[in-house]
This record gives sequence, structure tokens and C-alpha cells, in this order.
Amino acid sequence: MSITSPAVTANTVPSTTNAPEIASVLVVTQASLSLVAGLSAIPFGIVEPGFRVLSLVTILVAIAMFWLARNLRRQRGWARRWVIALEAFSLVASLLLTVLPIGAMRGPVPVLVNLVMPAAVLALLISRSGRAAFARPGTTA
Amino acid sequence: MYDIAGEHAAAIGAAIALLVIVWLVLRALSVLAHRRVGWAVALRDTYRATSAITKLAAVLMLVSGVIHLVLIPSHERITAVLFLVNGFGFIVLGVAAVFTSWWRRPAVLWLVATIVAYVVWVVAGWETPDQIGIACKLIELVALGLTLRLAQPGRRTWPRRIWRAVAFPLMASVTTLGIWVGGLAHPDALHAHAGAILQPVAGVATPEQRDAAARLLSDTRASIARYQDPAVAIAAGFKPGAVSSADPLRHFENSANANAVLDPNHPQALVYAQTTHGLQLIGAMYQMKRAGQWGPDPGGPLTQWHQHEGICFSPFGFEFSFETPFWTCPVGSTSITTPPMLHVWIVDNGKLGPFAADLDKTAEKQLQGS
Repeated sequence: MSITSPAVTANTVPSTTNAPEIASVLVVTQASLSLVAGLSAIPFGIVEPGFRVLSLVTILVAIAMFWLARNLRRQRGWARRWVIALEAFSLVASLLLTVLPIGAMRGPVPVLVNLVMPAAVLALLISRSGRAAFARPGTTA
Repeated sequence: MYDIAGEHAAAIGAAIALLVIVWLVLRALSVLAHRRVGWAVALRDTYRATSAITKLAAVLMLVSGVIHLVLIPSHERITAVLFLVNGFGFIVLGVAAVFTSWWRRPAVLWLVATIVAYVVWVVAGWETPDQIGIACKLIELVALGLTLRLAQPGRRTWPRRIWRAVAFPLMASVTTLGIWVGGLAHPDALHAHAGAILQPVAGVATPEQRDAAARLLSDTRASIARYQDPAVAIAAGFKPGAVSSADPLRHFENSANANAVLDPNHPQALVYAQTTHGLQLIGAMYQMKRAGQWGPDPGGPLTQWHQHEGICFSPFGFEFSFETPFWTCPVGSTSITTPPMLHVWIVDNGKLGPFAADLDKTAEKQLQGS
């Protein structure tokens, strides 16, 4: 088993592109989960009018997140700003729900989905390498 | 709805321990390389030259591998063998990701096969979805997404572009739906209906428990008889719950009774049914203060408490839906778990009986038509 050049060549992506790539994968995962949440609320909308609106809003948010993920990968600064805002809002809301005695955050799955993933995306986009990846040529991150 | 199976809990500790061990190994490698140990320098340089996306995919596969290996003792026969093969496969691929160039395609196949196999097992009822299994699938989905992103772009034809765009979201969505369908199709014995978890109790009631249950029913019936008129209940401090077009039952709650425990003179709520001639008192609801705090069950299996989990609550219109296995709710709603509750139905509740979690459908229809 070689531990030198072939593997290094195959596994190496220019380091500045890694943060947007990883963040975009996490955002696509979040968008997929939101899409299913939105679609799953449609049957409830038959008898609960409020959920018709919530389901539509959720599907639209999921589509917007797919779009943002695509533009993160293309290293668009506006996409980075939107994703930071969305993830920060989501993280703060989840933290508030954690404090409330309503059992909103019980076990590893809600912690991974609602706390770890938004925090990871934020960390990737706010980190030095994240800022550098989105910096325009000639500007400093 | 999706708890942590007791025999699976060790997987959390194993996953955390693995991350600590990986960090310690990398630190040790760095120290040895600093001292000019030849093989350590080569390993360190290879590791450093590996992209962050590959490193993350490798760590996630290692975590999944360790979780599979730790869960072997809690599974039987073919599933245990598959977990063994799967666990070692992920560990080999996790290591290979850093040190080889051939790992990507086998990793994609291994991840897809593992996720699909889990969904098949859950849908077939051979595996009960719990939070460890679902968290493991989330880790594998992210690892799959990262691995797919490392693919060298081929010919840029439209079908290829569309497939690259939809393949991963489709996999994530199908996995979510599969786990959900499997969980709903094969609920365990402690699920009254989707979202309601029953208190664990003995199988058969003793004569003493039958007497105690009958006493609770008669005491409750006698105590709440004065609230046949909803106006009397409101005057006594019971506040009407929100009207829901999805639920013909209305709960009138009294916060002054919050500290009472299964006290027929101080029930936490009264339950009324919407009938053609107005609201009709049909029962009381006792409720504990905190989720997971089961109340006393004097009637044993006859007076079994239940709590509602895995439901998305929207304050806009006071409505409910079910959360997905990945614990997501529609925007504007949140996952909630109610404290345990015990209903006492003072009307004939058919086969379900006077302490059932739900009102019998036939009884409900009769009430609505009356």
C-alpha cells in the first residue's frame, strides 16, 4: 500500500475550497431533511389549515437551502452571508427550545441535527479558511 | 417515538472514545514526526496532504464502523454478521481514505448499501428504529455526501448534471421516509398510536388492582359530575383549550391543580366532546408535571399512563403533525413531549375501556352525532 504520491494526489483538493464544499454538503443534508418535514405536513394540512401554510413555507425554505448550497460551492459571498444568517437563527432558536421544558431536544439525533450541524456550518463559514475561500481576489479575508 | 434502546446506548460512548483516540493518535504521530522518526514523518505528511473533506469523510466512516461493531452483541445471527462485516469495512475504508487512491468508489457503494440495508431491515420489521440507528444513518449520509463531492466531474451532459444534483437529496429523503414508514408499520408494544408512548406495566391486573381501578373511575365520575355545564368548570378555574378542526375533543385545563397527583377532586383537565347540542362532559385527564415522570397506577395495566412524543406543535392555530425520524418539524412548529397523562372516560368507551389513551372511534362518532 503506497502512502505517498498517488493517494495524496487523489485526495487533495485545494485547501481553500474545502470549507465551502463541506458546508454545502451539510446544507444539502439539512435541506433534504426540511423537504421531507414540509412534505410530511401536507396530509395534516387537509384538516389543519395552519399546517398548509407551514408545509408550503418549509418546502420553499428547503428549495432555497438547495440553492444556497449550490452557490456556497461556487463560493458566492452573498450565499455565505445568507447561510450564516439562517444557521445562526436556527441555532439560537434550537438553544432556546433546549432551555424550555417541552422535551424538544432529547437524544443524539436532535442534538446532531439541530445543534451540531448548524454550529458546524457556522464554524466552517466563519473560520479563517472559510472567509479566505469567499474572499475576492485582491482582498484580504 | 424514537428512543435510545438500552442495549444501544454504549454506541454513544464508543463513538466519543473513537474521536478521542483518533485525536491522541494524531498527536502522537505529530510528536514522533517532530523527532524525525521516518515512518511517522511519512504518515504525517500524507495526512497533512489529505484534503479536509476526505479527512472528515474518513472520520465519519470510522465512527459508523465502531458503532456497528459495538452493536454486534445486541443483534442476532445474520444481522450480527452483517454488522461485523460492515464495521470492519467502514474501518478499512476510513483508513484507506487517507492513505490510498482507490477508496472513493468502494466507499460510495458501501455507504449506499449500508443505508439501503438499514431501511429494508426497518421496513421489514427486523430492526426497530431507535436514535442510535438513526444518528448512525445521518453520519453515513453526510459521509456519502462528502464522498460524492470528491468525484471528478465527468462529461457535463444534462442527465449527468441532473443526476449529480438530485442523487444525494433523493437518498436522504428516501432514507427518512423509509425509517418513518418502518417505524409506523411496526410499532412496539408500548405505542398506543403514533406519537403516544405507554407506561410499562405488568400484563395482568390483580383483583386488588381491578378494585382500585373501579374506585378511581367512580370517584372521578362523582367528582366531575358538577362540571356538566362548561360554564361551571370555567367558573371553577378550568380554561378552555383551543378549538381544533382536527379534534372534536376539547380539554379544559386548571393550572391550580398542577401539583395534585391522581386526585379525583383536583383533576388537571376536563374533557368535553363537541356534539350537535353543544359541549358534553365525557371525562377527566390527570397529568404529571414533567415528561418521563410516570404517575401512580393503582389499577396496574388497567390504569396505564401515556405521554405524547414525536409531535410537531404549532402555536399558530394550536395544531399538530408528526416529526420526522431525523427530528425535524415544519418551519413555525417545534417538537414537543408532553408530561404523562391518564384519561378517565365517564362515557362508554367501547372495547378500549375507561382508562384508554384514546376515545373509541365508535363512541366518538356517536357523540358527534348526538
